[in-house]
Amino acid sequence: MFGRGFDSRRLHLVEYQNMKKALKSLISRLFSCWPCIKIFKFAQMPGAPFVASKVFLERPTWLIFAARFMKTFSSIQQLLTTLTREQKLLSELFEKRKILSFNYDYALELVDYDADKITALIDYSVIRQNGSNLELDDLFLQFFEQVMEVNEEINVSYINEHIQNIKQSIIYYLQENNETRKYGYLRQVKQALRKIGAIALRNVVDLNRNIDNTFKNEPNYKIKKTKLEHLDEKRNTIYALINHTDHLVSGEEEQTFFKVASDEELNRIIILLKLQLNECRHNLIDIQKQIIDYLNRIKYQSGVIEKLRQIKYLKDQFELRSKTSIRELLADNKAVIFESNPVYPLNISLDQLQTDDEAKTVIEKVAKRIRTSVKVTQPLAGSISDEYLETQVQEEIQINLDEVKNSFLAGGNNLFDFICAYDFGKEVSFDDCVTIYCQMISQFDTLFKITDVYNNKQDVEFAVVYPK
Amino acid sequence: MNVPKHTSDIFELLSKGQFICSNSGKDSVRKLYNIIDENFDDLHDYFSSINFILERGDEYFMFTREENKADLERKLEAAFKWIDILDFFKTVDHSFSAGYRFTPSDILVKLTVDVNMKNKLEGLKKYSGGKEKHAEILDKVLDQLRRDNFIELENEITNSYKTLASFHYLERLILSINIAESVKNEIPE
Repeated sequence: MFGRGFDSRRLHLVEYQNMKKALKSLISRLFSCWPCIKIFKFAQMPGAPFVASKVFLERPTWLIFAARFMKTFSSIQQLLTTLTREQKLLSELFEKRKILSFNYDYALELVDYDADKITALIDYSVIRQNGSNLELDDLFLQFFEQVMEVNEEINVSYINEHIQNIKQSIIYYLQENNETRKYGYLRQVKQALRKIGAIALRNVVDLNRNIDNTFKNEPNYKIKKTKLEHLDEKRNTIYALINHTDHLVSGEEEQTFFKVASDEELNRIIILLKLQLNECRHNLIDIQKQIIDYLNRIKYQSGVIEKLRQIKYLKDQFELRSKTSIRELLADNKAVIFESNPVYPLNISLDQLQTDDEAKTVIEKVAKRIRTSVKVTQPLAGSISDEYLETQVQEEIQINLDEVKNSFLAGGNNLFDFICAYDFGKEVSFDDCVTIYCQMISQFDTLFKITDVYNNKQDVEFAVVYPK
Repeated sequence: MNVPKHTSDIFELLSKGQFICSNSGKDSVRKLYNIIDENFDDLHDYFSSINFILERGDEYFMFTREENKADLERKLEAAFKWIDILDFFKTVDHSFSAGYRFTPSDILVKLTVDVNMKNKLEGLKKYSGGKEKHAEILDKVLDQLRRDNFIELENEITNSYKTLASFHYLERLILSINIAESVKNEIPE
């Protein structure tokens, strides 16, 4: 990738700050004729952060050779300052650590478009560049994860390492004659003991969280099961290490050391450690229970799924009835759920219907519902024939007895003769006259004077009646 | 006999073939569950005198009878339906079981990318009363599960459902079907 005729001997060192300035001015010029620019980066140049080989300002094609190499922080202060300065970018990178592509351009946006800042971080190996993507360096990622307690890895080797350290320090302690150095080894043992407790507890917490996460979030059943089994193995390892530590500090292995070196501080540390280990043990027992429970649930679930698959297959082949015990099973099953919904057709209490206030509204409601919405079509009658419409007059003369009475009362003739002589407007037979006579007497007897004299006419004997 | 005052409510639900589940979203049902839980023996005796057997399942209660009242064909029909429906939902999510929450729209989205699931849903058409659209078939199936008290509409606004503890009954039913070893070997993996 080096330009033709490149000679490292021609490279000359430029102060970082000066170089920065030079590069800035260069970049602005570079943008003006972008296609003919080649920028070369190469590593392994000791000395300055940036080494420009040669800048051919007068030539149309500029070649810039910038060399980068890995730097280390010289002090904690520098480390913290660097991290603080780019906290925005780092926290964003940490949040998106599981997303595989964190674009360089996006990172540039977070550092206010100052590419130097990103370059500096890359130089210090805080972040790594992979093509156009950026990611946190493993070392820092692990550090952040562990401090923030979000790590998914459970590393049990730490405890083991510390146990080995303790053992070694004990040997050195016993073999050392110089008091001061002896004390130094004792301090190492104490430190390691202190750490073991904390690490064990952390491991247990991590384990618990990971188990929970795996069970709840892992979608693949087989992986979930395997993961849980692996976590169970880790649990076993932690348990064994805890037992090992416990065995060590109870002074059974290194009796001489714990007898000789025992001071108050060591005793206190050991007691605290034992308490911590005990807590871990209890937690581990609970974790074991949980894992068993989770594994059982998975087994149950996958059992159900497997069984369901087989049954569904047989059902689709129409063999379920003949090849399984489903008939017998259901024949024995007396669950109410298989029955149709029961209805209880109870008669209505007549008393309630008559006395209850609500009953009336209910009845009205029902009546309303019963009213059919179907319109009854009235049958049309046939047209009436004209014959029926013709008026046919039939006259009948009715005798107005009242009128007859008034005429009679005005005259002086006796009633029967008066009737026979009265003009009724129609022919009245003798029999009719007799009838009218009788009707008149029965109706108006109070207005007539009925005498005891009887007359005879056409063989009809009648009482002579005069008006009063 | 000393029975709690909610006995009539309990009877009302259970005699219709419903379940009373501990994880129901309805306060009233959860309360009934606790009442049965506390007075199980009394209620069991009480109901047995009217020919209902109160049964305790895994976080649910249900009624069975001493004598068979439903005919075998009807039961087989119901069981077949449940097998199909259960098979579909287990395809949707392997962890579909009591306590699982879902919305029909989630399932419909999955349908678009899973042909197997789509086929299975179309297989459920026969229970949907002639509905053709996927959403309608799913709604019908969910409605049936809801009526049989296996799921519950938890949130009307988001239209999200929750699977009730009674779902264990279906799983238990499936697990209790025996398949002869020789037949098992015939079933392809």
